[in-house]
Amino acid sequence: MLVNDCMTRHPILVSSTLPAAEAQRIMVEHHIRHLPVVGEGKRLLGLVTRQSLTIKPDTLASLNVWEISRFLATMTVERVMVKADQVITITPDRTAERAARIMTEHKIGCLVVVEDTRNLIVVGIVTETDLLAAFQEMLGLPTAGVRVTMRIPNRKGEFAKIASVVAAQRWGIVGVASYPARRIPDRYDVVLKITEVGPEEVQRVLQQIPDQELIDIRTVA
Amino acid sequence: MQAPIADPVRSTHASIPGPGPVLKVENLAVAYKVRGGEIEAVHEASFEIYRGESHGIVGESGCGKSTVAWAIVNFLGPNGYVKRGSITFLGQELVGKSEEELRRLRGDQIAMVFQDPMQALNPSLRIGDQMTEVLTVHRGISREEAEARCLQMLERVYMPDPANVLRRYPHQLSGGQQQRVVIAMALLNNPALLIMDEPTTALDVTVEAAVLDLIAELQRDFDTAIMFITHNLGVVARICDKVGVMYAGEMVERGTVEAIFARPQHPYTQGLLRCVPRLGMNKAESILYPIRGRVPPPNARPFGCVFAPRCDYARERCLQEKPRLRPVATGVGESVSEVRCHFAEEIDPGRWRPTLDMELPMAAATSPASPDTGEALLRIEGLRKYYRVQGNTLRDVLGLGEKRYVKAVEDVSLSVPKGITLGIVGESGCGKTTLVKTIIGLEEPSEGKMHFLGFDISNGIDKRDVRLIQELQMVFQNPDATMNPAYTVGQQIARPMLRFKTVSKQQVREEVIRLLKAMRLDASYYDRLPRQLSGGEKQRVGIARALASRPDLILCDEPVSALDVSVQAAILNLLLEVQRQFGTTLIFIAHDLSVVRFFSDYVAVMYLGQIVEIGPAEAIYAPPYHPYTEALLSAVPIPDPKAQQKRIRLEGTVPSALNPPGGCRFHTRCPRRHLLPDGGRICETETPPWRDAGQGHRIFCHLPLAILRTLDPVLTTPSHEA
Repeated sequence: MLVNDCMTRHPILVSSTLPAAEAQRIMVEHHIRHLPVVGEGKRLLGLVTRQSLTIKPDTLASLNVWEISRFLATMTVERVMVKADQVITITPDRTAERAARIMTEHKIGCLVVVEDTRNLIVVGIVTETDLLAAFQEMLGLPTAGVRVTMRIPNRKGEFAKIASVVAAQRWGIVGVASYPARRIPDRYDVVLKITEVGPEEVQRVLQQIPDQELIDIRTVA
Repeated sequence: MQAPIADPVRSTHASIPGPGPVLKVENLAVAYKVRGGEIEAVHEASFEIYRGESHGIVGESGCGKSTVAWAIVNFLGPNGYVKRGSITFLGQELVGKSEEELRRLRGDQIAMVFQDPMQALNPSLRIGDQMTEVLTVHRGISREEAEARCLQMLERVYMPDPANVLRRYPHQLSGGQQQRVVIAMALLNNPALLIMDEPTTALDVTVEAAVLDLIAELQRDFDTAIMFITHNLGVVARICDKVGVMYAGEMVERGTVEAIFARPQHPYTQGLLRCVPRLGMNKAESILYPIRGRVPPPNARPFGCVFAPRCDYARERCLQEKPRLRPVATGVGESVSEVRCHFAEEIDPGRWRPTLDMELPMAAATSPASPDTGEALLRIEGLRKYYRVQGNTLRDVLGLGEKRYVKAVEDVSLSVPKGITLGIVGESGCGKTTLVKTIIGLEEPSEGKMHFLGFDISNGIDKRDVRLIQELQMVFQNPDATMNPAYTVGQQIARPMLRFKTVSKQQVREEVIRLLKAMRLDASYYDRLPRQLSGGEKQRVGIARALASRPDLILCDEPVSALDVSVQAAILNLLLEVQRQFGTTLIFIAHDLSVVRFFSDYVAVMYLGQIVEIGPAEAIYAPPYHPYTEALLSAVPIPDPKAQQKRIRLEGTVPSALNPPGGCRFHTRCPRRHLLPDGGRICETETPPWRDAGQGHRIFCHLPLAILRTLDPVLTTPSHEA
């Protein structure tokens, strides 16, 4: 899956002259946490996050109510946003896992997707929520079916065994994933989501594969 | 930069877009200031459009559909303003913002496509210059790069030969190509919202089908929200997810396409669906029910429910109290439509019966004679109409150059028996109108024989006898252009009576009023001027004028295509009534195949000046078809979202009649050629034979009937079989 397929297109964009309070309202009303700030031609100027809207006490001269409200009234998005040169961006042709990697590396919740790396034209946004939605899809949600986990040895041809058994049964697979088995060396866990068949039958058939172990099976809707 | 926070509201379901709607319109009212007050064009409209969704807005003309669109893009003009309500675009309010703020807010995020592509393009700039400007001005992209992007986008909208198109001027492109350029241009900036105001209304059915396919595809790929304004219910059924029905400035019903078409809840929506002919309907078995009355002007809307004066279910409460838009379960799945009607739950459209004052034709039970046998009123043999083209070179001016002709009508033979209706269909530029003009005598035929009532009418109109002219009359597409604005209705209708002396001078007034009554217009119309009439009324006067000389044959050139669906139904009913009462023979040109099917006994399909298929209406609309007819049928938008339609799209445009392709003229675009041995080489070289499918049904094609019969029907609908 590429970023192009999991990003949110046409995100809400704001201009740099917008009052920060207005940006705060938009974020609360739409249940979003990031607002790309753009100029003419959707060129990226910065990014407003919920963090940037928290006011640091030392920026205020006093805790006087009038002082605070004056301060808030004059504050624009431009003053609180993360500037474009510090915003981490990605292009739509990168993979979803690369986007996740960049986000975990930098410990951030969103990547702005830009089309033209020189002019930084915003075409979308990838957030944790988008990646989590993609993750669900890869594992076959929301289709109902049998979710089965097989523990297989780390050598060539093991996955092919599962595939050929599934093919012989003419089952349909809506989700596949594999990862190194936790704390057990040289083993991989494979998760499959199979539709239109009962768990008993899946168990009966998959248990017969030599060298492999069925470690979990459940019906999920 | 920040820690994730729990957000229970945002749905994690992958298919539901998380963020709110792209566009949200709430209780919108738009008013125009005029001398002595103001006119509220839109009274209450509410709807929302999400990413990747297309939302149709339908209704008769004058219901405020376009005004809503203009309010969104702030195109209302100096005297228009948003009176109430809000328009939220991507979370930000548009109403009440200054021009500069709006420009920045909307920026290049809202694009608009209008009905006439020529008005959106600058005629003096090359396509390439206009398109690259969008990118170079806003984004500061270099010219070369911008050109590459434009080329890409033109390829994306399936423009044939895009590199060449960039160097051309708008007038060098066909209508469909121009509209593609406009759509490509609108998409260059990747807008979040695309507003389309009747984008395919000016296009041929075949081009319309291709453009609609394109819109659906782009919507999927770019996740653009589309607001689609149209009067054509078939187009809505084909491409929209949701529909809002507007009437007299109010949104009266809103719901999913499936629900609106299967279970319309508002009497107006029910009425609209009753007055469109569906493909497969014919005049003997079914009746169109027009909606009585007309849309009230904005300054004279009724106090209670705006639809009450035209509604068959109106009660006391409807006149007293304004209904609110409220949700009503539709019974189609779990969908809920919003309806502005007090009694939506009590109304059952299945039990609806026409009221007595409705204009309905009596069932015509006569079975017409075959066009080849029976008494032919009009017989045409080998008719050709060529137009000489003057070249620009010196040789041409001196008359030395090769003589070139536009072959508008080529070898047309047909006969029309008395008392039937012959429908003529085909794309624009295929010679329908030229054929009719030649018959009526406005054009002199280049070759061929025409006999009318046994008299030779092959010569120009000046050589015809007055009696013959009297027997041949015409109804035009645009009633405005054919009526003298300075003459009263009475004078216009009386003129042919005086000219042909059908009645004595003392009886003229009486006769005109009798005709007006037959057109369901009362005597008070006698002294009115054309500008005091609505479009439908003008067309009635046009028909009355054609009838004034009591002709045997009336030629109708697209008599209903400029009219609203509800009025169209009334005019079609009127023409049926006229035919029944006066025994008039009709030749009926239309580009809407559903209307032709409904109205005609016989249908001729024309392509590039030739008739390619002719026969009884029911035979034309079922296999075997000519490949061209098949393609036309598959392009017709069907007002039924459940209809299964085969997808055959013709490539390119109708070739030039100046230099038509040899052999079968359709071979350059024919999708069925490959069924012949050798890839259909015979089609390029030899003129096809007429294949007789019985009952006067003839097909002009190299493909044998046995093969043509095996083609699947284009349409399979549940209602078709019922």
